Amino acid sequence: MNFFKRAWLNVWAKKGRSVLLILVSSAILMFVLAGLLIRSAAVKATSQAKADVGATVTLSANRQAAFKKMQSRTTSSKSSRPKMTLTPVKLSDAVKVAQLSNISSYSVTSSTSVNASSYETVSTSTGMGSSNSGGPGGMKSATSTGDTQIDGVTATSLTTGFSNKQSKITKGRGITAADKNTNNVVVEKDLASQNNLTVGDTLTVKEATGDKDKVKLKVVGIYKASSTSSSNASPMSTDPANTMYTSYTLANTFKGSKYAGTADSVTFNVSNPAKVSSVKTAGKKLINTSKYSLSTDDASYQTVKASMDNVEGFANKIVWLVAIAGTIILALIVILTIRERRFEIGVLLSLGEARWKIIAQFFTEMLMVIVVAVAIAGVGGKFVGNQLGSQLVSQSATTTQTTSSGTGQPGGGEPSGNGGSGGPGSTGQMAKQATDMKIAVTVSAVNLAELGGFGLAITFLSIMIASGGILRLEPKKVLIS
Amino acid sequence: MLKTEGLGYWYQDKDQPLFQGIDLEFDAGQSYAILGHSGSGKTTFLSLIAGLDQPKEGDIKLNERSLKQIGLTNFRRHDVSIVFQAYNLFTYMSPLNNLLTAMAITDAAHAGDKAYARQVLSDLGISTDLAERNVQHLSGGQQQRVAIARTMCCDAKLVVADEPTGNLDEDNTKEVIQQFQKIAHEQGKCVIIVTHEPDVASQCDHQFRLENKQFVELA
Repeated sequence: MNFFKRAWLNVWAKKGRSVLLILVSSAILMFVLAGLLIRSAAVKATSQAKADVGATVTLSANRQAAFKKMQSRTTSSKSSRPKMTLTPVKLSDAVKVAQLSNISSYSVTSSTSVNASSYETVSTSTGMGSSNSGGPGGMKSATSTGDTQIDGVTATSLTTGFSNKQSKITKGRGITAADKNTNNVVVEKDLASQNNLTVGDTLTVKEATGDKDKVKLKVVGIYKASSTSSSNASPMSTDPANTMYTSYTLANTFKGSKYAGTADSVTFNVSNPAKVSSVKTAGKKLINTSKYSLSTDDASYQTVKASMDNVEGFANKIVWLVAIAGTIILALIVILTIRERRFEIGVLLSLGEARWKIIAQFFTEMLMVIVVAVAIAGVGGKFVGNQLGSQLVSQSATTTQTTSSGTGQPGGGEPSGNGGSGGPGSTGQMAKQATDMKIAVTVSAVNLAELGGFGLAITFLSIMIASGGILRLEPKKVLIS
Repeated sequence: MLKTEGLGYWYQDKDQPLFQGIDLEFDAGQSYAILGHSGSGKTTFLSLIAGLDQPKEGDIKLNERSLKQIGLTNFRRHDVSIVFQAYNLFTYMSPLNNLLTAMAITDAAHAGDKAYARQVLSDLGISTDLAERNVQHLSGGQQQRVAIARTMCCDAKLVVADEPTGNLDEDNTKEVIQQFQKIAHEQGKCVIIVTHEPDVASQCDHQFRLENKQFVELA
């Protein structure tokens, strides 16, 4: 194994050349590592997105089936104007669906409206008039709905507005599962300040349907609605500040006794967004599809996933392109170096040294260089990876944002109220999530092992390419002529 | 010890061989000089008996075994030691490491023995200080002595030298030839020196001249 010693003596004696080789190899490996880091970070970010962004399946009334039913009634009886009847979701059905695997939690939504009694609603002034339907100076709604929107939920934290931080509790607390069968309510900040309401106060509302009883509600929290929701209120709709959150049981009470144990929609959170389709298929078997429908929403996940897939794909290309280019560059350098060392090879051959040992000596020399280069690249690669990764993510997210903004439908989405992800701000929010997705580049032992593998492969290939000359070399031609 | 049987060599045209039908015998403990003018083929002959090339015709035998049987790489590793005009040392090593490397490659009995290598160098006038320096810092004469020391350290019984004094002055030439004589007479090796200098050749035990494609032994 004398070639190890020869390799070391050569690397040590030719320090200048060795340093240059280390610099070239470090530069190559730094880019390889940057690619590897971005790739692994993108994979990590995608799996993180699964947990963070999530996906939902919503159980609600089958509007399409109800509409068809209404149409068939229209043709059979032309005497009276038919009405579309939506069957509220039975909570017992929701519980069955909730027991499917991959469903982590579920949120019940039941919306209705009531009229203000002990307070005044917030009125919105627009060029087309005021949107207040019940308050003083307001315009009466064309329908029999009340002036205050009641969003009955399982917990406010499970609603889209609160989970994506568009709405925030500023005082007190949100509605929780413990508020079931209570008259607790969370009111909007503007409504609270207009009526000097604070946490612990009571307010009275009047039912918009049925007996039109007055009901006392206790304020347990005050929230701040998102600016987008206020700016998007249409002239005919109630101001978003007039939306109160209660337990779904209270909302059902306002709607009437026949709504007990029902909901407008139930949103199921799917723990693994990739399993959304299978959850939907399994859920359909548990419900009466002529009355109910199951709709999925994994757009946020898909947006982030697409963004990360782009980054991962690009990182893969970087790794392979740099590895191939690096091999070629190193092979050329090694070929030139070996050409300079023909006499040395000749002397070794004249001493009877085996050709493979001469190749092994050059390989060992390059290996020593690569080991140092891997260490340098390990330090520098994190920096390059961070810079490159941030650039890639922002570019990719911009592309995703541009693509997805064309598909967003104002006011679209699920008929699930708070559980759905529709609405004008939803696509922007998804793109924002993709933009906010940061590539966390960290150099792990696995990354370094991968880099070492690439370094070894590059060294091996470049030496193999350059070794053709050694195998063909005739000592007589070098030494005698 | 070394025998050539009907040895012949040509480059492109078989009808214009450098030499043909050469039958020579070289014995251990003797020194031989091969003379000839430039281009006569004496260096080619040396490359054949050093195992650096294969003859086009005939055979070379070492102790009655053909080089083809022994294998050229094996032959070079264990049976022959070569000294070149241009010294051909490892330029990134010290004289000591040059000797240790050669001893390791050729599986010499003293492989790895630094003290022995130092002693051989010292016997040839290379001090301990010089032995540790890079060979490029040594004069031509000193480098040639290191090359000779390399052959002395290895156990090969055959030593061939191609114009070993070509780059040396008169004093160094004399000293180098004396060393070759020592190798032949004291170590019992067979030394074959290719030279174009009659003075050098005259100091060897036997002289051959290559002329008209044949070797002629000089008196």
